Amino acid sequence: MLDTAPAVRRPPGRRPSGPGRSRRRPRMGPYLLIAPTVIVIALLMFWPMIQIGIMSFQKVGNRQLRGEPAEQVGSENFDTILNDPFFWQTLRHTVLFAVVAVTLTLAIGTLIGLLLNKLGGKMAGFVSGGVMVAWATPPVTAAIIFTWLFGTTGGLVNWSLDLLPDWLVGGGWDDYNWFAKPLSTYTVLTVCVVWQACPFVAVSVLAGLKSVPGELYEAARVDGSGPWRTFWRITFPILKPIFLVLVVMSIIWDFKVFTQLFIMTGLANRDSFNLSLYAYSEAFGSLNPKLGMGSAIALVLTLILLIVTALYVRVMVRQGETR
Amino acid sequence: MKYTKIAAVSAAIALAATACGGDDKDDAGSTKDPATLKVWMMGEGTPEQTKFLDGVETEFKQKHSGTDVQIKYVPWPQVATTFQKAAAGGEGPDVTEVGNSDVQSHIEQGSLADITDEFKGWADGKTLNKTALENDGANGKTYAVPWYGGVRGIWYRTDWFQELNIQQPKSWADLVAAAKKIQDAKKVPGIGAPTDQTNALLSFIWGNGGEVATKDGGKWAGKLDQPQAVEAVNFYAGLVTKEKVAPEKYIGKNELEGPQRDFPLGKLGMYIDGSWALKEMKKISEKNADKWAAFPIPSKAGGNAPVMAGGSDVAVWKDSKAKAAAFDYITVLNNAKNAKSWADISGFSSMRSDVTFSDPKLAVFTEIAGNTKFPPLSAGWAEFEQAKKVLPNSLKAIMQGKAADSELKKANEQANTLLNP
Repeated sequence: MLDTAPAVRRPPGRRPSGPGRSRRRPRMGPYLLIAPTVIVIALLMFWPMIQIGIMSFQKVGNRQLRGEPAEQVGSENFDTILNDPFFWQTLRHTVLFAVVAVTLTLAIGTLIGLLLNKLGGKMAGFVSGGVMVAWATPPVTAAIIFTWLFGTTGGLVNWSLDLLPDWLVGGGWDDYNWFAKPLSTYTVLTVCVVWQACPFVAVSVLAGLKSVPGELYEAARVDGSGPWRTFWRITFPILKPIFLVLVVMSIIWDFKVFTQLFIMTGLANRDSFNLSLYAYSEAFGSLNPKLGMGSAIALVLTLILLIVTALYVRVMVRQGETR
Repeated sequence: MKYTKIAAVSAAIALAATACGGDDKDDAGSTKDPATLKVWMMGEGTPEQTKFLDGVETEFKQKHSGTDVQIKYVPWPQVATTFQKAAAGGEGPDVTEVGNSDVQSHIEQGSLADITDEFKGWADGKTLNKTALENDGANGKTYAVPWYGGVRGIWYRTDWFQELNIQQPKSWADLVAAAKKIQDAKKVPGIGAPTDQTNALLSFIWGNGGEVATKDGGKWAGKLDQPQAVEAVNFYAGLVTKEKVAPEKYIGKNELEGPQRDFPLGKLGMYIDGSWALKEMKKISEKNADKWAAFPIPSKAGGNAPVMAGGSDVAVWKDSKAKAAAFDYITVLNNAKNAKSWADISGFSSMRSDVTFSDPKLAVFTEIAGNTKFPPLSAGWAEFEQAKKVLPNSLKAIMQGKAADSELKKANEQANTLLNP
């Protein structure tokens, strides 16, 4: 990831290969090399996305899936969702969750990365092993495990909280229903998602740290800089390109979180819905699918993501240029 | 690079294969034996079920020796998406099991073959439950055949009832009193009242003379804002909020996500579930299994409340190229002998009037099945109940402190729009 960053700042006009030769005969090699990937992505990603765009202006149900022509409804799907207070509620959940989860993921992930960098051989192996397990767990498995942990009958969390003295955590935990209210549902969801997402941050930060020259830290120590100052003055600026990528990816991942929430609450708890779950319930929730509505919601989600990401990248690139 | 290319090529081949997959079935017609007959069964499938279906296949082959029957199990949570794929890709079954609440949606979408003539020629058809059969038709045509049904009762502990001197509850007041007694003496919640269990809630609404919606001159009109329905919903929610005989931990859950686990473990006094729950509960704990029994859900003033007739039907898929063989399979699957053994294996009651359970513990469910009702027979019910889950979400809001009147008014507006798609 480090080598991609300088590409942005490369002075224009300088090309790695001889400019004269390439002007006469365009080199096909790179395009051939990238073609299979592009074709696969185009078939599996772009085409469905275009379809979603088309379908969001149509009324599509099972009859249309069988081949009947779909009815064009203009912007009706968008009008319906944008005028529905429920849409704004799910949007609020989505955004709030993303803000909290991204912040926590980056903070905890970075701390783990710093810790791994400091630890010696055996302990580092042990910690990174634990971190890898969290990373390797499929989202479905993780969601089921967390549903059990926070469940009512035989749930480990309620049992432990019940064992703790009442003056510390309060009583009545035995039958506490974590998935009854949005706030407690999202607490569990955040723990689950952050637990799975911070290993990637930790490993990326660790990889970055390994490339920071040791002399810089030595010089900082000689100058009497504490760990807090060292991190913000040396580590953070050097690893900035990495953090840029990590923040953007985390935003994308946490905005579209679906699997875990779907398993934890299902469709019977609409008060806890986020945008993805809302789109799913419209499109696939019953035997009468409203694929047009589902597509419209998905398109809105995609647009929001694109805007957020574009703004963020722009800000970061600008900052890099002025310094 | 090499691998990417291979991946690209195989992806392209896979796409091409699915794209034309719908067309390369042989058009030999329905007179000859088809080479294969694809049968979709709903649910995870158990070894007993597979053994049972093997037996059905053997019997089916006596008439169609050249046909290979392929069974595919579709887990219930994936049913909607699987049928969507079948409709879109043309890769559907020949015979399929269909949840009875989904039959009307399928008919409306044109996914099921018209089997009116075949059904008329089938002698056993006369033994089938009339109410269930009504759900399988539209505009005077038949599209599916009732297979098995499930009705729910209230499971309880005979030893606790005896010890605490509780009689079988005959009214809502009795039910609350019984739950209170158990809760006080046994220190476990008296009864389970999950929010995501529309079938249970419906029994209370119907048991109070209420309705979800009634058909008024070709249009469904919601009745959830009527006093009978409001009172029933208030009573059900009140089990948690007012009487406090049902725990809050089942809010937002269905009967499988808690009650079905807690009852066999002796951590719950009573809960509402079907005959098929018996074998599921035995998987959790056999300890007190001989003391479990069920009684019918009471209505408000006394007597049995009508229960929702859950269950499954079998149908021939519209795109099937072997309609005749497909219907023959249905007649074998649902002949008297196979219906009996399926009832005993699955714990579901047969929809044939001449078949009963062998296990005496389940006999009460045959009695309960005498008083069944259907939710509104509208294609919109699937969206009302599955996608939007209107009643479960209203019930949840009411249990968490919202006023029943305004919540049910909103639910009723939803019913008015969704049930008239």
